[in-house]
Amino acid sequence: MKRTIAVIIALLMLAACLTACSGGDKKDEKPAGNAAAPVSGVDALVSQYGFQWKDTSAPILNDAGAQAISFTVYSSKNASAKDYNDMKIMQDLYAATNVNVTWNNVSESIYSQQKNLIFGNAKDRPDAIYHAGMGAGEIIKYANRNVILPISDYLEYMPNFSKILAARPDIKSQITSEDGKIYALPRVEEMGLLEFPNLLFLNKAWAIAAVKAGAVAGVTEEDIKDGLALTSEQMEAMLAYFRDNDMNGNGKTNDERPLNFVYNNWQGNQCDLFGMFGLNDNLEHRVIVDGKVTYTVQDDRFREAANFIADWVTKGLIDKVSFEQSQDNFLANGKGEELYGAFYWWESKTVVSNPDNYIVCAPLIGPHGDQTVCVSNNPEISTGELIIFASVPNVEVLLAYFDRYYDPIISAQINYGPIGIVYEEQPDENGKLVQKPLPEGVTADELRLQNAPLGIIYLSDDAWNNTVNMEERAQLRLDRLKLYARPYKPAGVTPVPNLSFTLQEMNTLSNYETALGDYIRVNMIKWLTGGGVTEDAWKTFQNDLNGRTHLNDVKKIYQDAYDRYAATK
Amino acid sequence: MTTAKASAELVSRSRGSKAFRRLRENSPFLVMLFPAVVIVFLFNYLPIYGVLIAFHKDFVPGDSILNPVGGWVGLQNFKNFFEDVQFWPLMRNTFLLCIIGFVVGFPLPIIVSLMLNATRGRRTAKILQTIFNGPHFISLVVLIGMLNIFFGHYGLVNNIKESLGGERTQYFLQESAFRPMYILSSNWQDFGWSAIIYIAALSNVDPGQHEAAILDGASRFQRVIHVDLPAIMPMVSLMLIMSIGGLMGVGYEKAFLMQTDGNLGVSELISTYVYRKGILNDTNQSYATAIGLFNSIINVVLLIIANTTSKKFSNNSLW
Amino acid sequence: MTVIKASKKGPIRLTKGDRVFYAINAIVLGLLALIVLYPLYFIVIAAISDPDAVLKGHVVLWPVDITTSGFARILAEGKVWRGYLNTIIYTAITVVLALLVTIPAGWALSRKTLPGKKFWMIFFIIPMFFGGGLIPFYNVMSALDLTGKIWAVILPSILSVWNLFMTKTFFESSIPTGLLEAAKIDGAGEYKIFGLLVLPLSKAIIAVMALYYAIGQWNSYFNAMIFLQDENLYPLQLILKEILLASENTTGGSGETILEQYRMANQIKYVSVIVSSLPVMLLYPFVQKYFAQGVMIGSLKG
Repeated sequence: MKRTIAVIIALLMLAACLTACSGGDKKDEKPAGNAAAPVSGVDALVSQYGFQWKDTSAPILNDAGAQAISFTVYSSKNASAKDYNDMKIMQDLYAATNVNVTWNNVSESIYSQQKNLIFGNAKDRPDAIYHAGMGAGEIIKYANRNVILPISDYLEYMPNFSKILAARPDIKSQITSEDGKIYALPRVEEMGLLEFPNLLFLNKAWAIAAVKAGAVAGVTEEDIKDGLALTSEQMEAMLAYFRDNDMNGNGKTNDERPLNFVYNNWQGNQCDLFGMFGLNDNLEHRVIVDGKVTYTVQDDRFREAANFIADWVTKGLIDKVSFEQSQDNFLANGKGEELYGAFYWWESKTVVSNPDNYIVCAPLIGPHGDQTVCVSNNPEISTGELIIFASVPNVEVLLAYFDRYYDPIISAQINYGPIGIVYEEQPDENGKLVQKPLPEGVTADELRLQNAPLGIIYLSDDAWNNTVNMEERAQLRLDRLKLYARPYKPAGVTPVPNLSFTLQEMNTLSNYETALGDYIRVNMIKWLTGGGVTEDAWKTFQNDLNGRTHLNDVKKIYQDAYDRYAATK
Repeated sequence: MTTAKASAELVSRSRGSKAFRRLRENSPFLVMLFPAVVIVFLFNYLPIYGVLIAFHKDFVPGDSILNPVGGWVGLQNFKNFFEDVQFWPLMRNTFLLCIIGFVVGFPLPIIVSLMLNATRGRRTAKILQTIFNGPHFISLVVLIGMLNIFFGHYGLVNNIKESLGGERTQYFLQESAFRPMYILSSNWQDFGWSAIIYIAALSNVDPGQHEAAILDGASRFQRVIHVDLPAIMPMVSLMLIMSIGGLMGVGYEKAFLMQTDGNLGVSELISTYVYRKGILNDTNQSYATAIGLFNSIINVVLLIIANTTSKKFSNNSLW
Repeated sequence: MTVIKASKKGPIRLTKGDRVFYAINAIVLGLLALIVLYPLYFIVIAAISDPDAVLKGHVVLWPVDITTSGFARILAEGKVWRGYLNTIIYTAITVVLALLVTIPAGWALSRKTLPGKKFWMIFFIIPMFFGGGLIPFYNVMSALDLTGKIWAVILPSILSVWNLFMTKTFFESSIPTGLLEAAKIDGAGEYKIFGLLVLPLSKAIIAVMALYYAIGQWNSYFNAMIFLQDENLYPLQLILKEILLASENTTGGSGETILEQYRMANQIKYVSVIVSSLPVMLLYPFVQKYFAQGVMIGSLKG
């Protein structure tokens, strides 16, 4: 036996040695350089290939440069999108810049599997990854190993991007790593839609029936219209009426589902219910209040709210399936025969067959008169959208090229589709892009998804005012939020932005956060579906939060990171 | 090359030409074994040096595996896992799910194969066998989708339950329902498929034995116990040892898809924990590898125990 | 099943005990068949029903609002047919190579006189427990120059240690040693014994191994996903997976598009199972044929 084991260990070592020697595990090996472009240094690029970056509407390289220099960019793509090499916007960009980029497209699922292998294969990496989806921790680790390029060292070649950073210190500090450098280019699409993930929709006909039947005190039939603000008491009466009567007239009194949502979903979730008690809850239970990182679960109002909601669950006012259903189930049950009395979602069109039958309500007013909304931490700035490998030759050219993506007109085309396919060649009198009539048999979405690569862009107020119109549905939602959500957010409350952590902070978070989140989740669902939380259970919960689940350590890290963010901003 | 090495070792151990002659006589077996050795060596042994990642501080793809960027940290990653607050709950959940799954799932294909073999209609037995293989081909997403549809709050099972006067149960939010659903659905999927090997073994039973037993007046049931079962016993032992050896090796996919806040207390396994940590925070691959390696070591220990026990009580053993 | 033949031929009438045994046997197997069949049937009706009705639990016994759009969506993709062809090619090559590797190796391992038997057993057991993970595997494949080639899909799957050990155990328990000794006395060499005596007696295990390897390859997609770049080489399962994920993907779509995609994805799930597994399930009876032959029947020929 011993001898056998010895032999096997010897074999293993042989195997390790063989692999090592066969080149399977070479250390970072600098590529031999771009053979087609024997130049080095910006001066040579300028003199030989006419490299210029200051004029953002002129070509970046001359024709000789277009021949000699080329880049390979690896990118995942939406299934319905064309190959990026065949996309008009990419061809237009080549025509405008003379920078030759070859796109290497894979599907999104394959990219997620191959990402590690791309990084792992030091010998044969592309020049950049688009739609890279890099997490903050990955960025730090690869940056420490000099695998990815510190883009901020090259900002002079990126006039558009530099301008954005100068105008928006908040963006700058969100994308800057702890060492003060920027390693990845962001996607910024600021429409103000993501902060509020829920709107409350109420079945108009059912509500009127309930009012007519005298079931709801203090509400008249005329009140049942968009913007209706119900107290928790009125809502309870309303939902009880839905529960007890055959509202949809199918002869069954037990198939009505008074209030519905998708528990802990990124939108259409339960968080707004906590607003009745003045809490600006979200899925992480973490929100900034007057510059302080706050956890809603540490607030005694949270207990009161949980008990209140649990009571509605027990009474059958909240459909129990809300706690277990997936988004698909929720959407499917909205179709056909009307079942939903009220529901949380970000819009009603996709949920129910007849959206006109539903009105949008203002947030519910709680027993103590509180009326506020959920503030979610979904950022409108994605930080890790594009990375460039450190060893890429002539990287200045590539950066000058990607800088063009941040030009408002290009950003709009990257996001919605190119001029000539989606937009008319001529802008309107205000200089805004004008939608072309749709070709026959194609929906606007199909056209967009085929022709727009999405990815790194900057679309903000400036662009919405001067360059491109928001899509209709986005505009509709924005209008609704302006009326029924934003006014109910207290002045000092903001979402937690993208924060930069040190590697050490990151390690601490990685040690504690999963267990902490789980502990809260496990308890919360127990309370909400199990009739509530007792005084003792709440005390134990608070002790555990501060004790074995290290909430305060986690909170401190967020606070430190937020303070740094606020200081640079 | 490895074969030569092993043979050389054998030669040096033996003395005289007698052993050498025996080796030569039996060398055809080495030739028959050779292709399998090559395949395993290339595709299993060569990449095995990857276990070293478990001893890195924090491996990221692109790092040299033999020459870690952050230096070797010895058993630090293992230590971190042992000190994780979740360590014991994870061990308990993984172990319980696997052991119950094994106790329920191991005998099932054996019983089914014996029953199929003892079915009177030859045609019926064949049709049943084909039917029993069906679930093996169902993808995981569909299996979970069906579980949701059948056992959901408004699902088939609850509809029946309610019409019989019961209360609807939220199976997916209950800790007590997770293991039964997980285990029974797994067994449902694979009992027929796993029975195939036993059915094949049963087909080589000498009919003469049955005839002799019939003459002795044995009933059909007695023949199942005294003729059929012993015939597949070696295969049963093999599967038993190997299954015990693979006991803790449960993957994350299915449990992860079945996880809800309500059943997290029992559905969180070692594998799902590692996976979820990777989604929420960036994975420390060294830590994940260390946990995987720890899991393998438990499995090896279980295998050795199973093999030794089997050797003691029957003559069947792997080595 | 040979057993049944014997008992039919036999003069003995069924005793009462036997009748009870057969009855219980039939009832239990019948119940089991129902438990297995209903979900299988459900997949079929779900694949042709309105996906909303399926999710709402309205599809129980019969399809609701029959639609073939899921099938149409899948079968309209030219890639699917290409994938079928690829999968058939990979499966066929895998099975042939796997049998050539596994069956002789299983026989060798089953022989007590195999030099270094214990060593070889442990040699094969170790990789069942310890693997290096994806990155070293990729590096090895790349060093062997297999990446991007169909051999990257085939070669790593031509030996499964589980299958090897099953083969070994089958040989140990099912080949009568008397026959072997007789052949040896007749002066037959080991190769001759294996080829002319053992193989004809081993149809059942060869059939099982062919089946296990075939289905293993038929259902696999991971290596293809990692190693193949050319979409024209993708196996069926990978293509179906891509279609499904493409339907679930919602980046940049409007509400209606997202909804339509969700509904499609929910139907495609079921359709995929049918499209990918029906052909192979129908093959099973052909494999099954070989289980019916007992060792004695085979040995009479040899």
